[in-house]
Amino acid sequence: MADQVAPHSAEIDSPKAHKGLIPFNVALVLPAQLTVLGVVLVPTLIVIWLAMTDWQPTQAVPWYDAQPVWYWNFYDLWWDDRFINAVIRTFAVVAIAITVELALALGLALLFLDEWPWRKIAVSLIILPMMIIPVDAANAFFMLFNDRGPVNDLISMVIGEPYTFSWLSDPTWAMFPILLCEIWQWTPLMFLMVLTGLMSLPQNQVRAAVLLGATPVRIFFRIMLPLLTPVIGVALLIRAIETFKIFDPVYIMTRGQPGGATETISMYMYNGAFVYFRMGYIASAALIVLVLVISVCLALSRPLKRHS
Amino acid sequence: MTDAAKTNQHRRRFLKGTAAGLAGFAMAPGLMGRAMAQSPAIENIHNVAAAKAKELAGDKTVSLTIMQPSGSLGNVKPVGDAFQEATGIEIKYLEVPLGEINQKVLLEAVSKSGSFDIALPATFGIPDLAESGILVNLDNYALTYEPEGFQDGSLYNIGDYYKGSFYGYQTDGDTYVMFYNKPWLDDETEQKGFADKHGYPLKVPDTWEQLDQMMAWFHRPDDNMYGGALYRTQFFIAWEWWGRFHAKGHYPLSDDLEPQINNEAGVQALEELIAATAHLYPGAKTNGLFENFEAYGEGNKFANIGWGGTQKYLNSDKSDMKGKTAYGLMPGGMQGDTLLRTPYFNWGWNYVVSSVSPEPEIAYLFTLYACSPVMSTIAVRDPGGYFDPFREVHYSDPEIEQTYTPEFLATHKVSMRNSIPDLYLKGQGEYFDELRVNLAAADSGTKTAKEALDDTARSWERITRRMGKRSQEVQWRFLKSIYPADVRDKLS
Repeated sequence: MADQVAPHSAEIDSPKAHKGLIPFNVALVLPAQLTVLGVVLVPTLIVIWLAMTDWQPTQAVPWYDAQPVWYWNFYDLWWDDRFINAVIRTFAVVAIAITVELALALGLALLFLDEWPWRKIAVSLIILPMMIIPVDAANAFFMLFNDRGPVNDLISMVIGEPYTFSWLSDPTWAMFPILLCEIWQWTPLMFLMVLTGLMSLPQNQVRAAVLLGATPVRIFFRIMLPLLTPVIGVALLIRAIETFKIFDPVYIMTRGQPGGATETISMYMYNGAFVYFRMGYIASAALIVLVLVISVCLALSRPLKRHS
Repeated sequence: MTDAAKTNQHRRRFLKGTAAGLAGFAMAPGLMGRAMAQSPAIENIHNVAAAKAKELAGDKTVSLTIMQPSGSLGNVKPVGDAFQEATGIEIKYLEVPLGEINQKVLLEAVSKSGSFDIALPATFGIPDLAESGILVNLDNYALTYEPEGFQDGSLYNIGDYYKGSFYGYQTDGDTYVMFYNKPWLDDETEQKGFADKHGYPLKVPDTWEQLDQMMAWFHRPDDNMYGGALYRTQFFIAWEWWGRFHAKGHYPLSDDLEPQINNEAGVQALEELIAATAHLYPGAKTNGLFENFEAYGEGNKFANIGWGGTQKYLNSDKSDMKGKTAYGLMPGGMQGDTLLRTPYFNWGWNYVVSSVSPEPEIAYLFTLYACSPVMSTIAVRDPGGYFDPFREVHYSDPEIEQTYTPEFLATHKVSMRNSIPDLYLKGQGEYFDELRVNLAAADSGTKTAKEALDDTARSWERITRRMGKRSQEVQWRFLKSIYPADVRDKLS
């Protein structure tokens, strides 16, 4: 009986045997595709569903039974000053941080382009900050900028009288230590990427320009910088995405205070989701932020496409 | 008896208790002492509760886990040990960070892990916890086991109830009390100078206006003298404004839950708070609880605001203010010719029972045991803990008197009796978070007082809509009905 129904082994092995069902090449990648789809699509669909509810896990209702509120979360977010301000503030932080990081990284990379004694040790020292756990780095800056901390002590020594400015409780200046911590810790990453890019630039054009008498500034802006654009683009993209998620220094140093003056989008979402358990509302905020981040990333990656 | 009937009976019991308490407040102290004398049933309730728990446990191996805020083990453990000894029921302790305990209890509503049987959440979080279903409604247990008049001996129990149902016993007398620098108040030169300038004597202030004038008077930074050590950090700022606002004669919400915080009185209260900031010491905007104790303990500030914990520090050898402190209720406001006092109970911890506990009845009996006159006195006595007196009997205990001083206890007791509650609504954390952020923004100058309160009011409207206006109205009406009678009549 088994002999009668079992197909010939040659038919099973042949790709042609699957013709009409699933092509062999598709069948090979299908499990992986389905897994990826499951990992990405299912949570995304859940987030979209939650965004249309006001589900709170603490209300003793399972998420799939949550009462829909449809567009109300988005309506509330539109009128939520704290959310809008947190988004604007986060974009400002990204713009300032990555601009300063790029400027510092370019300067340092040019400095480290040529060989000089102790260069390798100096590189190791420069990249040290990014190896520190972000919470520890934030804690160090919290202590530095405490009103009785070393920064105020230093200023007191310079001006010759006691200086007790409360950096972290002043709405105008509270973001400064946070930005400084972020820049201090992540400039090394930008530096490494830019240095690698500079070292791999084709040297023929530079040598030709030197022979033709071009000044170093002209060589940098007319030859090196254009060639470096793809590397800078990738570095900016990576750092922009990372900086957009800034959380540790804000949480450690100010928790968004004073009066929300340092509340970034991650801090806002943390409070909403894990202090007040407003999962539905924060899912809506997350969707809006996702769309914004994708838009910015696409805009940033346009020069890369043009280059390729 | 149906559940509804039992709830109604319980509500009547609560209102009766409140009325008795308030009547006591109005009586002369000696008379009040007699009126509050405990019945033998109340005096002995810890033994009864332990015996009943032992009987219910029978031959089973029962253990109870208590989730308590960090730093309170000194208060909880002596009681737990005594219960364990009396019943054979093992008591385990699970300490969590003080600021996170309400979140941890809420998370239990999701995970249902059964990690604790009894918890000590902050009182202002009870509505959210009750709505999440993680708390056992204790109406029936209380009706069964609680002796008549048991709650009358507790000076503040507004926070024990949500929508008329009972959810857990208060175990910490966290009412706001004012502290003043007595040598400065008694200084004859200062008294004459102040009276000449303001036309009234320098004494413990009755109103916020007087307090602000006194802080301004004593604020001489060049001489290392500061007007006050009142809190200006975001977490604490709302509590002072809450007191200032109520003292102007208004509820924060109307009957139909429209915010009233941004009315003229609210804006004025905030402007006065911001003006007072100029007369505080430099660390007011950054220092938290313990830094505040230390700063005021240096002895160079006139006024401070705080709880029993503040007094414990100030009365210790670590403080230069030991024996130099005068006390007062939180200042009030003038309503025509009448002084409106609005002392404020703004923290507190309640013993609650987890709905996931396999032994809710025994757990309830432990909470009754822990809050009984005898056992709660042992808990409050601990000099290292932070549970403050909250029952009538605590105020006459020699050890507690020694820790707090009789002068402080006299003020604390009056404050407890007539304290207004926090905003015990579902979403209290969200309401207050919006208020805190906006008040801090106004205090730091990024918003005007009016803008800050208008923004808060808009956020409150959204929160109310989300929480369900009808449901919130039920609790708000209940809460208004149990504001202290003296205050209730004068608020609009």
